[in-house]
Amino acid sequence: MTTWQVWGALLLAPYVLVFFVFVLYPVSYGLWLARNPESYRTLFEDPIFFTTVVNTIFFLLVAVNLKFVLALYLSGFFVHDRRWIRWLSVIFILPWAMPAIPTIFSIRFMFNPEWGVVNQTIFRLTGLDGPNWLTNPDLAMAMAMGVHIWKALPFWTLILMAGRLAIPKELYEAASVDGATAWQKFKYVTWPSLRTLYITSTLLSLIWTLGDFNSVYLLTGGQPADKTHVLATLGIRYIRLDQLDHAMATIVVALPFVLPLVYFMMRRLSGDEQKTSQ
Amino acid sequence: MATVVFDSIFKSFGSTKVLHGISLDIANGEFMVLVGPSGCGKSTLLRMLAGLEDIGGGTIAIDGRVVNDLDSKDRDIAMVFQSYALYPHMTVGENMGFSLRLRNDERKRIEDRVAHAARILNLEPYLKRYPRELSGGQRQRVAMGRAIVRDPKVFLFDEPLSNLDAKLRVAMRAEIKALHQRLKTTTVYVTHDQVEAMTMADRIAVMNDGRIEQLGRPLELYDRPANLFVAQFIGSPAMNVFDGTYRNGAVEALGARWPCSAKAHEGQPVKYGIRPVHFDFGSGVEAEVVVVEPMGAETELVVKIGGQSLTVATHGRSPAAPGDRISLAPNAKHAHLFDAASGARL
Amino acid sequence: MTNRKLLSEAKLWLVAIPVLLWTLIPIYHIFLFSISTKDSAFSGRLWPDHPTLHNFVTVFKQEHFYLHHFWNQIWNSLWIAVAAGAITLAIATCAAFSISRLKAKGGRTVMNAALFTYFIPAAFLAVPMYKAMGTYGLLNNRWSLVLAMVTLAAPYAIWVLKQASDKLPWELDEAARIDGATPLQLFRLVYLPLMVPSLVAIFTYALLLTWNEYLYAFLLLSHENTIPLAVGLGHFLASDDSPWEILMATALIYGLPPAAIYYAFRRYMVGGLTAGAVKS
Ligand SMILES: Nc1ncnc2c1ncn2[C@@H]1O[C@H](COP(=O)(O)OP(=O)(O)OP(=O)(O)O)[C@@H](O)[C@H]1O
Ligand SMILES: [Mg+2]
Repeated sequence: MTTWQVWGALLLAPYVLVFFVFVLYPVSYGLWLARNPESYRTLFEDPIFFTTVVNTIFFLLVAVNLKFVLALYLSGFFVHDRRWIRWLSVIFILPWAMPAIPTIFSIRFMFNPEWGVVNQTIFRLTGLDGPNWLTNPDLAMAMAMGVHIWKALPFWTLILMAGRLAIPKELYEAASVDGATAWQKFKYVTWPSLRTLYITSTLLSLIWTLGDFNSVYLLTGGQPADKTHVLATLGIRYIRLDQLDHAMATIVVALPFVLPLVYFMMRRLSGDEQKTSQ
Repeated sequence: MATVVFDSIFKSFGSTKVLHGISLDIANGEFMVLVGPSGCGKSTLLRMLAGLEDIGGGTIAIDGRVVNDLDSKDRDIAMVFQSYALYPHMTVGENMGFSLRLRNDERKRIEDRVAHAARILNLEPYLKRYPRELSGGQRQRVAMGRAIVRDPKVFLFDEPLSNLDAKLRVAMRAEIKALHQRLKTTTVYVTHDQVEAMTMADRIAVMNDGRIEQLGRPLELYDRPANLFVAQFIGSPAMNVFDGTYRNGAVEALGARWPCSAKAHEGQPVKYGIRPVHFDFGSGVEAEVVVVEPMGAETELVVKIGGQSLTVATHGRSPAAPGDRISLAPNAKHAHLFDAASGARL
Repeated sequence: MTNRKLLSEAKLWLVAIPVLLWTLIPIYHIFLFSISTKDSAFSGRLWPDHPTLHNFVTVFKQEHFYLHHFWNQIWNSLWIAVAAGAITLAIATCAAFSISRLKAKGGRTVMNAALFTYFIPAAFLAVPMYKAMGTYGLLNNRWSLVLAMVTLAAPYAIWVLKQASDKLPWELDEAARIDGATPLQLFRLVYLPLMVPSLVAIFTYALLLTWNEYLYAFLLLSHENTIPLAVGLGHFLASDDSPWEILMATALIYGLPPAAIYYAFRRYMVGGLTAGAVKS
């Protein structure tokens, strides 16, 4: 080995150490903990688990897709070259730039059925009691999705904006000359260039949304009656109950879904890498 | 100052063989130019000398010492890159003094040497500037300054002028040449531009496909190209070459007889080569003018003979116009014959 | 302006206004609470009758049961965030330099390992990580959160820094080698100065990620003296009659610095953003 190779190995070592100590060993040990079929039996028999799986699936399907349709639309709005729109985009980033706790607590208080500002306003305007936003399980899940979207939308809008800005202007000019309508421009120019980014981003967001603990936990805490859990909060709930094998089992159940996505994303990024290094 | 000796150098990247046994002796103080078409392996050869590429086979010696296993920094060489590779975050002065700083030289000595190099290269007013604040030609000079400061045994240049515009290229060509005449440091210079090679080199090694086709002084290569490849690569405009048959001390080709001084077997298929400037007007081969390209000092004509396009260069202006029929007399003394099969000079 | 122009402008405003409200209402709601007295906080008005900074005074003087450790917690938050930011930066820079510039053997494998960690949902990794921290005896030690956040932040940091490194011209390294640089000199004198913008971005990224983190903080730290402000805020939820106006004042104090830092370094951050994808 030359000195260059020695230094290459030395400088790589700290991260390798971190990976072994805080990822590889914990994960292997966790999987080993989750080897007992008994944990899965009790898990599947727990009615909360079934509700949680249904919640999670809904959460992923609805929140992620809604978020991306909105992001796609808004990215088209924010690429307009106006000074005030640039300012608006700076404000728009706030939910993403701020930590989760203050804003989610704020939303939680706004929608408190008794003294939250929303229901008070409803009462003042109509004289009726507003809905039980956070104590009706279905509504509470919908609210959690809303919170998730509120927080993550700016980020994905920004990503799709970058994608839109990378499309050559000439394409739009040519389409205009050819007499394309706004919808046709979207269909024949924007979408074909944006599709790959859109799909990759959606898949990535699927994985990460699966790990979104804050939007649910800080808003409902899984209440009422543990009916608003998703897998991420359920796993943590089992930890708090000191049932580590159940916590791991909860995660293992999701792995058949997560791992292919992770593999796909890794392939994509490594593939990109090959392209750039050539 | 030093000699450089390449002894049967081989190199492959994965399964592609790039260099097939190159041997080359460079004399003390010599300006050696490696020239050849893109991808022929000249950069690879130079980078092996610099220690930036592993040596696949054979040995390289600088000043009699085999350097195969030496790190770049222990080879006492300096290199000028095509992209200049100036450190963007250092001033011109810092760029030039960087190698000395790495050697922990005294400040005073570094400053002196940088000032000395700056004087040679007319860079004194720019020492405090950053590379981004310089023009292309100035950056080029800083890159050279960085090499000069170290006073290395060998200078290496890899296409240092190809990022400059045509006019600056000519000026820098002269500057590098003048610098070499002043410092007399052994220099290996890589280019794909044969004009650069011809004007700067003491000797030229013409490379093709990982081999040296011919090694010699510029005019030797021009006057006596060893094979078809060199013949067509060296000289601008390029030599006219066409197939013919040797008969009775001349070559029959394109429906005419072409005189030559070289000898071949009677009836041997040959390639006949003649440079555009080696035609006289007068009785000889009949040709039809297709294109006239006046360039001021000379005029290039593209003519058709027997269905083949040839280039003819004349001094001064030419009265010919497209469509004219003219008669050309090839200069037998300057005609070249090559074996049709091997391409070797006859 | 022609009618058509007016119409298209109106269409833009039709999007802009809902977006603005949607974005700002929850944030304004925090602000409103934090400057309201306890009585007027729930009046449902858009502006309190008697705006007051009293809540902030309460917070700073630690005059409420939930706030007895406010300064201690904010110090913990800061300490942990800076430590995680610095360690992430150091580890990731070394790794990126090694992979991208020294072409270290196994660099690709390490990059893949990092990407794997990056893509695994953070809440999933939390479970085994919690167990491991227990095994290491680090629970309730601020270092556990620091190291956990380094683990979470380093993969993206390495990825972004590697992308940025790959863009540096290769000839610079070769020139430095010929100039006689050792690997460390190359790192110190050439690589680091050229990477400054990306390094700033990565430090900021890790700092904010850590400051903002809730899940790992509340799993790994529970002792009063070790918890960061995020966990302290979470404690307010323990009872239903929490002092909301004080909670919101604290939340504002907690939430504004990262937003401010984000805006201060936005120029650096946005470049990094589009290079890859930040964990949301
Ligand atoms: N790192 C490498 N990996 C694989 N192949 C390489 C590498 N470097 C060079 N080659 C190949 O080796 C051959 C010679 O390359 P080299 O750079 O020496 O050419 P060159 O003569 O300098 O050409 P140019 O005038 O274009 O610079 C080319 O076919 C090239 O594709
Ligand atoms: Mg080359």
